[in-house]
Amino acid sequence: MTSRCIVLLVATAVCSVAGDPRSWWSGPEVTLLGSPSRNGKLLSFADPVTGALGVRDLVAGTSRFIATRPAGSHEFAYFSAFSPDASKIAYAWFNDKGFYELRIISTSGEGQPFIAYRNEEAGFVQPCAWTPDGKQVLTMLFRRDNISQITLIPAAGGAPRVLRSLNWVYPKKMDISPDGRWIVYDNFAVEGKPERTIFVLSLDGTQERRLIETPGDYLFPLWAPDGNRILFAGDNGGPQELFTLDVEEGKSIGQPRPLTGALGRIIPLGLSVSQELFYGVRTGSPDVYIDSRRIPTRFAGRNTAPAWSPDGKQLAYLSRRGTENFGEQARVIVIMDLVSGNEREIAAPLAHMERVVWSPNGLSLLISGSDGKGRAGLFTVRVEDGATTALSVEHDAPFRGFEGVWSRDGKSVYYLYGETELRQRRLTDGAEETILRTAAMQHLAINKTGDTIAIGIGGSAIRMTPLQPGIVARLLPFPDLTELAWGNELYAGRGEKLWVVPLDGTPPRQIPAAKGRLPGISPSPGGESIAFAAGREQAEIQSLQLRK
Amino acid sequence: MRHLRLTLALVLCLPCNGQLVCPPLGLDAYLPAPEDNPFTREKIELGKKLFSDKRLSRDGTVSCATCHDPHYSFADSRTVAVGIRGQKSTRHAPTLINRVFGKSFFWDGRAATLEQQVLQPIANALEMNMPLEELPQHVQWNATDVSRALAAYVRTILAGNSPYDRYLSGDRSALSTEEQEGLRLFRGKANCATCHVGANLTDERFHNTGIAWENGFRDDGRFAVTQREADRGAFKTPTLREAARRAPFMHDGSLTTIEEVIEFYDHGGKANLNLDPEIHPLHLTPEEKNRLAAFLRALTGVVQDGVAPGIFR
Repeated sequence: MTSRCIVLLVATAVCSVAGDPRSWWSGPEVTLLGSPSRNGKLLSFADPVTGALGVRDLVAGTSRFIATRPAGSHEFAYFSAFSPDASKIAYAWFNDKGFYELRIISTSGEGQPFIAYRNEEAGFVQPCAWTPDGKQVLTMLFRRDNISQITLIPAAGGAPRVLRSLNWVYPKKMDISPDGRWIVYDNFAVEGKPERTIFVLSLDGTQERRLIETPGDYLFPLWAPDGNRILFAGDNGGPQELFTLDVEEGKSIGQPRPLTGALGRIIPLGLSVSQELFYGVRTGSPDVYIDSRRIPTRFAGRNTAPAWSPDGKQLAYLSRRGTENFGEQARVIVIMDLVSGNEREIAAPLAHMERVVWSPNGLSLLISGSDGKGRAGLFTVRVEDGATTALSVEHDAPFRGFEGVWSRDGKSVYYLYGETELRQRRLTDGAEETILRTAAMQHLAINKTGDTIAIGIGGSAIRMTPLQPGIVARLLPFPDLTELAWGNELYAGRGEKLWVVPLDGTPPRQIPAAKGRLPGISPSPGGESIAFAAGREQAEIQSLQLRK
Repeated sequence: MRHLRLTLALVLCLPCNGQLVCPPLGLDAYLPAPEDNPFTREKIELGKKLFSDKRLSRDGTVSCATCHDPHYSFADSRTVAVGIRGQKSTRHAPTLINRVFGKSFFWDGRAATLEQQVLQPIANALEMNMPLEELPQHVQWNATDVSRALAAYVRTILAGNSPYDRYLSGDRSALSTEEQEGLRLFRGKANCATCHVGANLTDERFHNTGIAWENGFRDDGRFAVTQREADRGAFKTPTLREAARRAPFMHDGSLTTIEEVIEFYDHGGKANLNLDPEIHPLHLTPEEKNRLAAFLRALTGVVQDGVAPGIFR
């Protein structure tokens, strides 16, 4: 017992970092979907502009693409992981059929990529690590019914071995111990609560154990190259930082210990054999503006999708929390009182929220997005208490949900179902009716009197759609349309630029718009102001040298 | 098709640390077991014998298998469980397939572990009526041994490798067009996947569908455990695996066919004080109901017991 305590004390004393974080790569082109090679010289990445899989030479500061998409296609690379000898990269590829498959390619870029796993029913794959012998890829499969599965997929191709299925939840990251016996992953500590904790699962499928019992929010675990400890991001009440925990035979020894101070919104990416920890930091700053003025908020740099309340006294917007893109903890709705400046948060139980529209009576919000059960579409959220109801949802709908607007009387909702149907759904009895079928519909807005809906058609025109029978629709040309909003006037966006579109058919009039403006404007009810979001998410790759 | 099934089975039986791990297709390789009751060959074999041993009942007429009949995928073809001297229980005996993945046990979830669960029907006066302290006199094993053996055995009752599992694993021909349409309804308009989710097609949570409502709750369900008013009339979501082999359905066995179950949900369950917000009228057409029923029948596969993957081989 005494000797064990001494060992623990020694271990505690030597687990620390040497020096300050080192910055390797920053800018709008940096994504946090790759991993470092074991020698710490290369980083795989997904290029946000071209969709290509790339390799970044961290020392030389140069990048090259090794898997590119065919001209004219919408395919792209996503998560990736180096093989142990860095000769290959396993990566997720969004294919021409509209789902992700697992591919493997030579790091040199020579030869064609090999499809190791392709199954539409498991339409999202996230390669996380390779087994030490390089024969299998630890991959998270995300099925269409929103089941995530911890699997081992043969690098040479073949059926995955499903070790563990998780309902409606998924690990943010997984890693394999250097001896190839254990998988470490994060998952919710308690059902229904957002906090995560760390688990180990044996590769032979015979054991699983929760490693941390103490309160806190711990995620993105990695196994240290010495095999004796794991590292992960998290917080136990304070700012997010890096933690370590000693592990032996799949069991924790002691408690998690902080390794660093606050590092910002971090995502650990991987460790080199020399114990250099590579991680990404989110550095972008999207924020909400009213005209040219950034609104003062407690969570600056994390805010999008503003929506003015019908009485003009409040502004609702989405605010990012944590480091993740997806999940119930990722975003909250903020209601700001524009007179007092007070902010109130609504934590709706939704995995993703894309846009917000106030009901005419100001009591509910219409949210486009998806829930934790893998259903996407439209939801209503009660402003008073956040009570959330699925309004029109499907398992196969895009995670950003449907674009919808309220009817004037607030008793029904109009929304675009796919790109070919405009539907009306009555809130009273849930009855639905398709009121328009036509091709290539995107974006919609309704006028103040509620008798006309404007719909983007093929990105080149606006279809003015009367809701009363007997009135003929008409088209207003507008090339490269990217968004619509309707206050006292009809607004149309083209990228970050903005126009007012006269209804009499005269040419649109461009109005000033902030540089870096994001889609999603909200005109004030009186028409005197416009709320919008501007600023991009950015990221930086950094590293910390751990002491052995 | 037969050749394909064999190939899939072989592909999924992978050597792992010298042992052959081979759960039915569609289930996890990891089978949870408590650290104080790990799988052993001896314990599982004993559990299997005890499962059919009528000496566990007071008058020697009822065994676990009486109500959890292997021929009906370890469920009961009768409306409610029938104990010694023909005594009727108030609830239908649920299937025991894939309970290794369970988070709580009984329709109301009153048992936290299988070790707790397996002893309750033995002691229940309406069922087997055997005082637990008398067990050694009847079967030579004490209550703790019986509990561990039966629980270990029940954890080996696994159902998988259905056409649905083969479809999910990439065999697009495993489900007919009608069954695939049914799957779309299952995940979409019919809203089934809201509760029947995961490898075992259950969220392991408790929901009020109104099935127990008749101008008041005939059965309090989960309320008896939590004493929360909102839980009154709520019951645990059962697995849908093997549904075609184990009618009747619901906690009281009141619905006798898959079609009746679909009709019940199509009407939005039964309105009551605590109806789950996910239960609402579905407006399914007759054709859609047929497709959904066809899909539910495609959840029929292979049921195995007495073999713990990774233990014996």
